[in-house]
Amino acid sequence: MDKRDPFRHNVLTAGHRACSGCGEAMAARMVTDLIGPEAIYISATGCLQVFTTHNQQSAWQAPWIHSVFANSAAVASGVEAALRAKGKDTPVVVQAGDGGTFDIGLQCLSGLIERGHDILFVCYDNEAYMNTGVQRSSSTPHAVRTSTSPPGRLSQGKQQLKKDVISIMAAHHMPYAATATIAYFPDLKAKVEKAMSIKGPRFLQVLSPCPLGWVHDSALSVTVSRLAVETGLFPLVELEYGELTGVMRLVEQKPVDEYLRPQGRFKHLFNSQDGAMELRHLQALADTRIRRYGLLDAHTQWDTAHAMQSERHGRGGYWRGSEHGR
Amino acid sequence: MAAKLEIEPGSSNAYHTGDWRTQQPVYQNKWPPCSQVCPASEDIQAWLALASEQQWQAAWHKLAERNPFPATMGRICYHACESACNRKHLDSAVNIHALERYLGDRAIALGWSHKSSCDEARTQRIAIVGAGPAGLSCAFQLARHGYLVTVFDAQAEPGGTLHSAIPDYRLPKSVLAKEIDAILALGIELRLKHRIGKEISERDLLDQFDAVFLAIGTRQPRPHPYDDGTGKAGSSHRVTSGLEFLHRLNRDEPLIIPQQVAVVGGGNTAIDVARCVRRLGADVAVVCAQDPHGTHQQDLATEMPASLTEVIEAETEGVQLIYRAGVRRLVRSGAHLSGIEIAHVDRVHDRQGHFNPILFAGTEAFVAAELVIFAIGQEADWQGLEGLQQTTEAEGVWVGGDAVSKSKLAASAVGSGYQAAMSIMASLQGKSLVFDAHQKTKITFRKMQLHYYRKQLRREGEMNAQRLDGFKEVVNGLAEHDAVDEAGRCLSCGVCFECDNCWHFCPDAAIIKKEDGYAVDYDYCKGCGICAQECPCGHIDMENIETPAKASTS
Repeated sequence: MDKRDPFRHNVLTAGHRACSGCGEAMAARMVTDLIGPEAIYISATGCLQVFTTHNQQSAWQAPWIHSVFANSAAVASGVEAALRAKGKDTPVVVQAGDGGTFDIGLQCLSGLIERGHDILFVCYDNEAYMNTGVQRSSSTPHAVRTSTSPPGRLSQGKQQLKKDVISIMAAHHMPYAATATIAYFPDLKAKVEKAMSIKGPRFLQVLSPCPLGWVHDSALSVTVSRLAVETGLFPLVELEYGELTGVMRLVEQKPVDEYLRPQGRFKHLFNSQDGAMELRHLQALADTRIRRYGLLDAHTQWDTAHAMQSERHGRGGYWRGSEHGR
Repeated sequence: MAAKLEIEPGSSNAYHTGDWRTQQPVYQNKWPPCSQVCPASEDIQAWLALASEQQWQAAWHKLAERNPFPATMGRICYHACESACNRKHLDSAVNIHALERYLGDRAIALGWSHKSSCDEARTQRIAIVGAGPAGLSCAFQLARHGYLVTVFDAQAEPGGTLHSAIPDYRLPKSVLAKEIDAILALGIELRLKHRIGKEISERDLLDQFDAVFLAIGTRQPRPHPYDDGTGKAGSSHRVTSGLEFLHRLNRDEPLIIPQQVAVVGGGNTAIDVARCVRRLGADVAVVCAQDPHGTHQQDLATEMPASLTEVIEAETEGVQLIYRAGVRRLVRSGAHLSGIEIAHVDRVHDRQGHFNPILFAGTEAFVAAELVIFAIGQEADWQGLEGLQQTTEAEGVWVGGDAVSKSKLAASAVGSGYQAAMSIMASLQGKSLVFDAHQKTKITFRKMQLHYYRKQLRREGEMNAQRLDGFKEVVNGLAEHDAVDEAGRCLSCGVCFECDNCWHFCPDAAIIKKEDGYAVDYDYCKGCGICAQECPCGHIDMENIETPAKASTS
């Protein structure tokens, strides 16, 4: 067991083979440490599964099951039903990438929600199939270059739009569905803790930048995810039984350029006429999302400035118990 | 029967991903810009951090380590620290001087005493000539370290220029007196009305003491062309110097002030004199050779040297300022002085950089005044110290303070006293001189992540409404809750304040949180650089490391 850190369990411990600056490894470490080592974790096939379990070594310091790409939700449903039959209330958590959520795993996930299993499903959304070489997924945003959506004469990257999966989840009339990202730890913490306090199916979509696939400097993972929120391209929202119950207000809307420029996957948009049009398209998409969720005028204290504040001596750690708390 | 796993999975901890990196994070304390420019080199960030946690006494001790005059300096220092503060790029600079004053006032009110930093009793005796800020700062440091210190001063009261030339509306005498008492309480012997060469000879000084520190300040007004040698405001010519005027005012001597007064000079003394004259009920014009503040971006030497805030306060009090003007002659009708003739100043300094203005003919104007006060600088008075002036540190004589330093700020004198004390101690102990443990790297706001800080209004001390009514203080101190908020506005530039960002954001669990900070586990750090990128205060540096491949080829 890794007990290097007295202030955190490190459910996802060191020595995993994620790329330098991996947003998904960061997100998974935060989420699993917030939930704790007592839960049972099910991982769909994907980057997270591959880089944490390598050559007979596991980075998981908690019970962990690998399912195939499509059926992580179905495996988890079985685990939850078995625990229920034995009268145990061990939390069950599924972790999947956008491929295992938006595309291949969608059917089983929909079934899990419809049957009402007491499971948290976490999607680490890095917006393409990174593990196999950056192929487009239905989560890849519009106009992004991937290996299967190269920009050229006929198109400026992916022609289609990013699938609005959080609305699909909310349409199931499920108890809790929310979006989060790594840049705002206090926000992520609040959402994981809220999700763990609710019984029934819960869904969390965590935007997790991928320096390799998004083609940005490995040091910029947090910065890029913050800009995704501040431009309005990735709204942070909470939906309960289909109703919008919380948003993170934007103190100031940043132009999408600020988010797109550091990323090589949007580079082709900055040197052509067609690219310029797609830039305007992406700006219009951001404006639409801001309007739709009221990100600029929501009546809430929870805004992008408050969630960023750096406080002296920590902004709250992982232990909920008072004996460890600072 | 439960089946047994054939292969037991191992922990990924066995695999050291640290091999991958080409650069690595290093925690490195920097010296924030406020401390960099502070003439007394106070560790401002450190005492602000303690103040924000309401550890008032600890904050005061930390501050006094370098400057035993917080209540005084908080009032009169021109706070270069605030001009350098990185917070101005977020909203506005931290009100450092108001907090310094708050801590000083609190110490006076609660009667805190200074801590001695040495239990060792030493027998070496040190003489300090001059009980001004430089002399007392040096005495404070030496006494704190266990030396026997005797301070000589020719005047009847200690404090030097702080006592004799700072008007009451900026610094009440009682505040200064209490801070000096706290310093003397460390066991410093003070001999007032002792002038070297009169009450005690230079020879005795060298014989009786192991080291001598000369901090004689500048008590002699620089001579002006209309000096008749009497220098009294009451003389028939009605011409005096700014320093003489302030000395007399501070000694409560009766002054006869006519209705119209002209002050010549562009420094802080000129402004002090003008504001005092306003308080005595007269109209006053300041004639200054330089341009107003903010007119020159490149050549600051042609701007008025007085502090901008002082000038603004003087203007609101009705002081008239005449820029780019020099005195051509005094205008008299008989023995009676009726004013001065001024003319446009073309060039302020000559090629050698000396103050030597050129006045243009045909631009003359008349300024009515029955009293003209020249505040054009001051000099050290070496009378009685001619012998010691020639000696060196090797012979056990140190010189510091206004008498020798270019900067004539009180805080510079305090800093000079500190440095002299360190040098004297190093010399007496036969050690080499060590000043700061802090690495002296600059930290600019560009290396910081200002979006991690919340915008917050700067707290100011209230202004006194009836300020021209006598010599009451112009600015009041901060209230306790304002002081806490204001101290909390410090960005802690370059110095870790344990926000946990690096710890939260490390994708590789390679940052370990400890009771007193963090450590990088280099076995696992992949060198992504996120911790350095997301550190709000620029505390973390990424340094390149030589990879084994590179090392073998070189």
